[in-house]
Amino acid sequence: MATLAERGIAPGREAWEYPRERPLLARLGRLAAKNPVGAVALLIVVAFFVLGVIGPYVAPYDPQAFDRYARLQGPSAAHWFGTNSKGQDIFSRVLVGARVSMTFGLVIMFFGFIPGAVLGIISGYAGRWLDYLIQRSSEAWTAFPQLVLVLTFLSAFGPGLRNVSIVIAIGALFGGSRLLRALAIVEKHKEYVAAARSTGATEFRVLWRHVVPNIMPYILVGISSVFAVAVLAEAVLSYLGLGLSPGTPGWGIDLASSLGSAQHYPYLVIFYGGAISIVVLGFNLLGDTLRDILDPRLRGSR
Amino acid sequence: MWRYALRRLSFLPIIVFAVSLLTFVILRVLPGQDPALVIAGQGATKAQISQIHAQLGLDHPIWRQYVNWVGDALRGDFGTTYQSQASIRSEFVRRFPASFEIVFLSLVVSAITGITFGILSAMYRNSVLDYAVRVFAVFGASIPEFFLLTLLIIIPSYLFNYSAPIGGYVSPLHHPWTNLRLFVPPALVLGIGGSAALMRLVRTTMLEVLRSDYIRTAHAKGLSQRAVIIGHALRNAATPIVTALGMAFVAIFGGSIIAEQIMSLQGVGQWFFASTVLRDLPVVQFLAVYTATVVIIVNLIVDLSYAVVDRRVRYN
Repeated sequence: MATLAERGIAPGREAWEYPRERPLLARLGRLAAKNPVGAVALLIVVAFFVLGVIGPYVAPYDPQAFDRYARLQGPSAAHWFGTNSKGQDIFSRVLVGARVSMTFGLVIMFFGFIPGAVLGIISGYAGRWLDYLIQRSSEAWTAFPQLVLVLTFLSAFGPGLRNVSIVIAIGALFGGSRLLRALAIVEKHKEYVAAARSTGATEFRVLWRHVVPNIMPYILVGISSVFAVAVLAEAVLSYLGLGLSPGTPGWGIDLASSLGSAQHYPYLVIFYGGAISIVVLGFNLLGDTLRDILDPRLRGSR
Repeated sequence: MWRYALRRLSFLPIIVFAVSLLTFVILRVLPGQDPALVIAGQGATKAQISQIHAQLGLDHPIWRQYVNWVGDALRGDFGTTYQSQASIRSEFVRRFPASFEIVFLSLVVSAITGITFGILSAMYRNSVLDYAVRVFAVFGASIPEFFLLTLLIIIPSYLFNYSAPIGGYVSPLHHPWTNLRLFVPPALVLGIGGSAALMRLVRTTMLEVLRSDYIRTAHAKGLSQRAVIIGHALRNAATPIVTALGMAFVAIFGGSIIAEQIMSLQGVGQWFFASTVLRDLPVVQFLAVYTATVVIIVNLIVDLSYAVVDRRVRYN
């Protein structure tokens, strides 16, 4: 996302005089070589997204099928992660569970974070009473332990994944609006905004074509942490029995239903917990790397 | 500072009032499920439901219900639970010590490990210790607490056939050893898990401070490393650390609900959780207001302690 100035674009130069940008892949390769941890994180995240899409098709067994001759078998060649007390293949359930977690993350992003980001930009950019209203509400919301808010809402509307996602999405909405508002306030006083305005661009065009591309990396950092939070929240609330209903494949709910036999067969919980931890780790590391690239002053200090 | 504290304190009742109104709206006014249905079950007749409504005072208009609730609450009466018709206040008093102990122990563990290792890792940057701290800070923030708590129950029982004592509550005054066996393991998990974020922040702040000119001056005039760190660096890093401690408290406060539920500790958090499942609205209403009040007071303490840790801060 090189700016015009970086590409040497200046008045009075012909198009063929501009240095060509390196191809995208080469640029990404250089970035990955400089940030190996970030590259691994990106790989983890992409891998789990792919699993979320293809998981149910590549799963070696039907994750719901009972097999009473294959109960509580440890990890083996036939059942890579072993089987649970109903004889269901844990590897297949972990694969299918990826879809649940990633879908939940996507829902929170599209219905929480992104509307929040839009609100935040408007709020920071336009200011006044709307700004005040959004900011006070989001301060109040983010000050409390999220779990307490979730519990309060769920006792009014009843448990279930849909209600859980509404509450988590509201949290992401406020989180996104705070992040983007702060960014928009910084950006709107910058010279390029004044420059774009002076060319007669409409406010919408200034925002969409100039401000948003400039703060895009920060938005990606935000999305990364929203995914981490969402995956964790779905897992813990399903684990506590407030999200997915028992029996459906999902990392949190499966972990909870393994508890009965886990004292003798600890492998039952390791893979589900491991999957949650690895995904969250991937999103956290990805966010950290993006932040480091954005703010080189902090490099190595986090 | 005292005038500032007084002014902030005078806002407290207003905020608590607003929170109570908001939770009341969420719990009673918005179209949720009728609590009478929850109590009587799905097959309840109309007569049974209206009888329950009359018992619980739900047949009054909604504003009247709220006024009644506030009036009672001001007199220290927070109503009774739907489930057992027990006094919410006495149940709270019974459960409070367990919650206080788990939150307090976790916060102490978190503060000690977070601040100590954060400072050490900044002092010995790029050493083995520093890398260990950084790896821990990332992993600690990623591995969910409920998974760690589950492992805490499972692993000892699998390896040593030993299960940590779970559930109930014994007073630390009467049976200190039993009490600690009950509370220390979950407090360690919550505290050390929660210290990851703190560690990271202390490290970043200290690195920033250690880079500044007055630290070089302090070194140049021949002060010992210890005097530089404690007398100069730490004092200047104190403000963000206090902020982070406040955030750590909120995180642990929320995490203690999960810990109490998993370890079956008879605390306020487990009660909150159980009441959510049972849709026991008066309890949830009370506990939401209680949580809000605690969080607001802690934030107030954090704001006021800036003046204590940094003498340059003046409130007006």
